[in-house]
Amino acid sequence: MGVTSDVAVSAAGLRKNFGATPALGGLDLRIRPGEIYGLLGPNGSGKTTFIRCVAGLLRPEAGTLTVLGGSARDAVSAGRIGYMTQAPALYGELSVNENLRFFAALQGLPRSDDRIAEALRTVDLLDRRHSVVNTLSGGMRTRVSLAAALLHRPSLLLLDEPTVGVDPLLRQEFWTHFRELASSGITILVSSHVMDEASRCDRLGLIRAGVVLAEGSASDLVARAGTRDLESAFVALAEAR
Amino acid sequence: MDPHRVRAVAKRIVLGFRRDHRSLGLLFAAPVLVLSLVGAVWGEATERAPVVVVATDRFSGPPGVIDRFLASNAIHGRRATFDEGDHQLRAGEADALVWLDSPSATMHVVIEGSDPLTSGTIGGAVQRALTEGLATLGQLPGPKIVVDQLYGGAEYSLLDYLAPVLIAFFAFFFIFLLSAVSFLRERTTGTLERLMASPLRRGELVLGYLAGFSFFALLQAIVILLFTVFVLQVQYRGNLATIFIVEAVLVIGAVSLGLLVSAAARNELQAVQFVPIVLLPQVFLSGLLIPVDQLPDYLRPLSALLPLTYANEALRVVMIKGYELADPLVLRDIGVLLAFGLIMAAGAVASIRREVA
Repeated sequence: MGVTSDVAVSAAGLRKNFGATPALGGLDLRIRPGEIYGLLGPNGSGKTTFIRCVAGLLRPEAGTLTVLGGSARDAVSAGRIGYMTQAPALYGELSVNENLRFFAALQGLPRSDDRIAEALRTVDLLDRRHSVVNTLSGGMRTRVSLAAALLHRPSLLLLDEPTVGVDPLLRQEFWTHFRELASSGITILVSSHVMDEASRCDRLGLIRAGVVLAEGSASDLVARAGTRDLESAFVALAEAR
Repeated sequence: MDPHRVRAVAKRIVLGFRRDHRSLGLLFAAPVLVLSLVGAVWGEATERAPVVVVATDRFSGPPGVIDRFLASNAIHGRRATFDEGDHQLRAGEADALVWLDSPSATMHVVIEGSDPLTSGTIGGAVQRALTEGLATLGQLPGPKIVVDQLYGGAEYSLLDYLAPVLIAFFAFFFIFLLSAVSFLRERTTGTLERLMASPLRRGELVLGYLAGFSFFALLQAIVILLFTVFVLQVQYRGNLATIFIVEAVLVIGAVSLGLLVSAAARNELQAVQFVPIVLLPQVFLSGLLIPVDQLPDYLRPLSALLPLTYANEALRVVMIKGYELADPLVLRDIGVLLAFGLIMAAGAVASIRREVA
């Protein structure tokens, strides 16, 4: 299941419109295997659209997109992508265990108890496995949602604003998990509009109006823009366009 | 097509409703409640023997005939003069006033007549009582009354006629509604997005939905059948397996139509608004209330397009007339329902494609 090339995800000139509204306006980026790549930009900049393209849910109208050496759909069918949606998409009337069993079965893991335990240990929710999801707090649901994306040990993990509405303590924990996962060889694409979170990524793509303005580590970008922090760098790079 | 994934989806649906007590209540208690009402309103209507007054002052013929006629179980008979009887009839105290005129060999029956449904049952009861009376007396050259009933009989009520179509109606209505709302929830809560970003195929998802909801539909059919047969004592002749087969092919269409409708609705309120559009034409045109052959000519092609038309016909002939599965009419109905179900299922698969991918 290893990534054969030195690129986990590559996009070139990617375009996608919703009616007359352009969501991606010729997006280019490259994500290396095993890195945490942060897609940083304001609401409506095209982050979710791009992630949904990588998850095989949207077909770009122009440009090329390679995911783990093939098409996005192939990577999804092979069970190599884990996708954590923006809102914790779970079945509220089922228990944590039942939810995870279901998602595991979809990934071709009919006997999944060990995997479920492993994923729940990762998000520190093993003791709540029999709780009905509707009775959990928002933060716990987000953690279950992450566990569901990890069950099948994907090569590429897509996290769409995973820490929105998550308290600072849990956010800290999440990033610890992400770092652990990345060091185990999983490539992570995470979107965010929170600047201080972005500095935890290995590399960043600053995205605005469906176009990547600049790519590089947080310190690179700050240095390139000649500013004091990432936020000012974002503004400077956006204005330079 | 991976059976494990299909089974996972079906199991997910069944497990989900296990904790949704309101929906389960809707599924099982509502049909029982409605059937009880139908039973109370129509079930005993024809079992009540009408009050029949024999006008003794106009009666001609052997006196034994009156005795035998009045003794019949089909009526509550009593004697009176014509004027008294006429008065009772007008006051609503009697249902019919009768006398036999031997010279002309005519049985005169006067009924109130404002309610056609009651009138029919009174006429039948008087005929039965007279036939019984005449039969015991032998060769009286009386009025020739021939009553032919192929199916049903004295205890056959409107409920017996309605029960088969109500089974189809409830299955279609509840399963359509539940599948539409369930799938709409998949769309609005984002779980559909998660499913589509997994190896699960659209066909597997629809098949899983069909399997999960068929489970509830068959369970519902069992509850309705048990209730109508044992509590309401509906007459029932058909093979249980044949009833379930008709039910299962009907449910394929109901679930798939629910999935299709969920694609056209943005929220649960909008989904519910499809209920009258999908259901009311079927109430009026599928033979549920009005037999299809009594519909105006221009409505019949419309009736032929509705799945409940075929389910009603099949369930009626199976339950009331005891037709077997191999009967050409039953097979044709099942075939049409299956075709409808498959077309709707294909539409459902296509409707999922349009949204994602």
